[in-house]
Amino acid sequence: MRKYSVPVMTIFSLFVFILLLAGFGWTLQNQLGEETGKETKTIKPEQPAAKEKQGGKEKHILALGDSLTRGTGDESGKGYTGYLIDQLKKKSKEDIVLHNLGVKGYRSGQLLQQIDQPEVQRQAAAADMILITIGGNDLFQQGQTLKDPSMENVAGLQGKYLANLETVISKLRDVNKDAPIYFIGLYNPFIDMKDAPGTTKAVRDWNYATGNLLDSVPNTVFVPTFDIFQLNVNKYLFSDKFHPNNKGYKLIAERVASLITW
Amino acid sequence: MINLIRNEMLKIIRRRKLLVVALIISVLVGLFTYAQYKEAERTRERIGSQDWRTTVQQQIVDTQNRLGSSGISDEWKTQLKLRIQQQQYYLDHDINPLEPGAPTFMRTFAEHSITLLIPLMVMVIAADLVSSERSSGTVKLLLTRPIKRWKVLMSKYLALLLSISAVIGIFGLVSYLVSGLVFGYQGWDAPVVTGFTALGSELDTAGAQLLPQWQYILMEYSLVWFVAIIVGTIAFMLSVLVKSTPAAMGIMLAALISGLILSNMVSSWESARYFFMINMDLTAYLAGNPPPIEGMTLGFSLSILAVWGIAALVVSFLVFTREDVY
Repeated sequence: MRKYSVPVMTIFSLFVFILLLAGFGWTLQNQLGEETGKETKTIKPEQPAAKEKQGGKEKHILALGDSLTRGTGDESGKGYTGYLIDQLKKKSKEDIVLHNLGVKGYRSGQLLQQIDQPEVQRQAAAADMILITIGGNDLFQQGQTLKDPSMENVAGLQGKYLANLETVISKLRDVNKDAPIYFIGLYNPFIDMKDAPGTTKAVRDWNYATGNLLDSVPNTVFVPTFDIFQLNVNKYLFSDKFHPNNKGYKLIAERVASLITW
Repeated sequence: MINLIRNEMLKIIRRRKLLVVALIISVLVGLFTYAQYKEAERTRERIGSQDWRTTVQQQIVDTQNRLGSSGISDEWKTQLKLRIQQQQYYLDHDINPLEPGAPTFMRTFAEHSITLLIPLMVMVIAADLVSSERSSGTVKLLLTRPIKRWKVLMSKYLALLLSISAVIGIFGLVSYLVSGLVFGYQGWDAPVVTGFTALGSELDTAGAQLLPQWQYILMEYSLVWFVAIIVGTIAFMLSVLVKSTPAAMGIMLAALISGLILSNMVSSWESARYFFMINMDLTAYLAGNPPPIEGMTLGFSLSILAVWGIAALVVSFLVFTREDVY
């Protein structure tokens, strides 16, 4: 063994040396060579959206939207989607899988862009239930709207939002005809501030218009949250006075859970 | 000359240095395989799905959320944006960036080892090649033979090149064999994208090309090998210049670690890019990760490394052939 170890090791080294030297030359040519010398390989076509619903083995829930879907403000990071899943898991024997695609700060236009991605559509097609929270950032504009709460300003924002939402919902319905869609309505986080009547009216109008739009789509439920926070705004809001805290999220989750049919 | 090289190889192998290196690599590969296995398990638990598309989509959304949080630096924001674009590219073209299997492990392990682990292993071999002859006094026996001094040094250098190749070979072989036990040995043909270039915060996919994984691995290992040779050459120079082995190792180690720390904070110190240790992360160019300093390219880094290597070699030969040995 000892006798052979030196020649064997030497031959092995020599082999690797030559292999990597050749590889290095090829790497230089491939990475640094002329643009024209590069093989332009056609990228293989996308596979058709494989894997539809897996017959009853597990239930997929798709959550779309903004920071409320993400769970901003909840110390445990679950958000209403997390608490909802916890409740459903207790009741259901099947495995429940949550796909949470919520992004903090999303507005309806950004949600629309997200929905256009093929992977998101694939997940929407495979979902047994779809949850949406959107519009809070469209309406409040990170607090900008509070400075100019005039009717014309809000009406303009609302028009854009409704157009986006309509497209979002119809795209979801295009890929998935059956899954119930639960749309979580807005609450007024500024209800204890001095301009409360103005903001309350804006949120009410907003929710009313959203509900109207959803009425025309079958199997779609508008879930109100306005009343949850109406008298308890400080108890159920996080310290940023905008997002719910864990108690607020739990109440939203309970409300959605009571509406679910399976 | 051949006999001289054989003699030097004999010294390296008989002193069990390659064996030690192989053992260290095996232990680390075992550790990392286990860690990655655990990580995959946890992702599966969290997302509840094995479909890689769902995982990648979830990663994109998580990154988007991190982008939205306040108080992250612009630089980090740019990196996150690039990562999102890259992952979106993978999704859009239906390429699994983390195809499970031993070849993928080989690939990612090499990516993570190129800046520190591999250079360290190379250093273990190179740093005492000359200085140990000095400290044990055998250098006199070597030089009293009727052979030119440059030939003696040349034989040592060539033996070093061979041993470095052996280290890289062992590295690839061990990581393939060990990780395959857990992840399976499949995946040589899986498609991998290379040729992304970062232009500011935008990702240029014009030069992107699809390669089978084995070609990508060959490229990557040849780059690792090149870095290893340059580090080996510099360590070799130190072992000629510095009389004691620990001192040579210490200097080299300091250079390597300072490189790691610097590349995280030099983005505004432009001339730092002429240091060899800033340029060692060659595989990042293949993967399309943004370089530590804007404007650095693979060609640039390769030339800087080559200049350092040649300079180190010239210095070693000049010093060794002229100095007094007593």
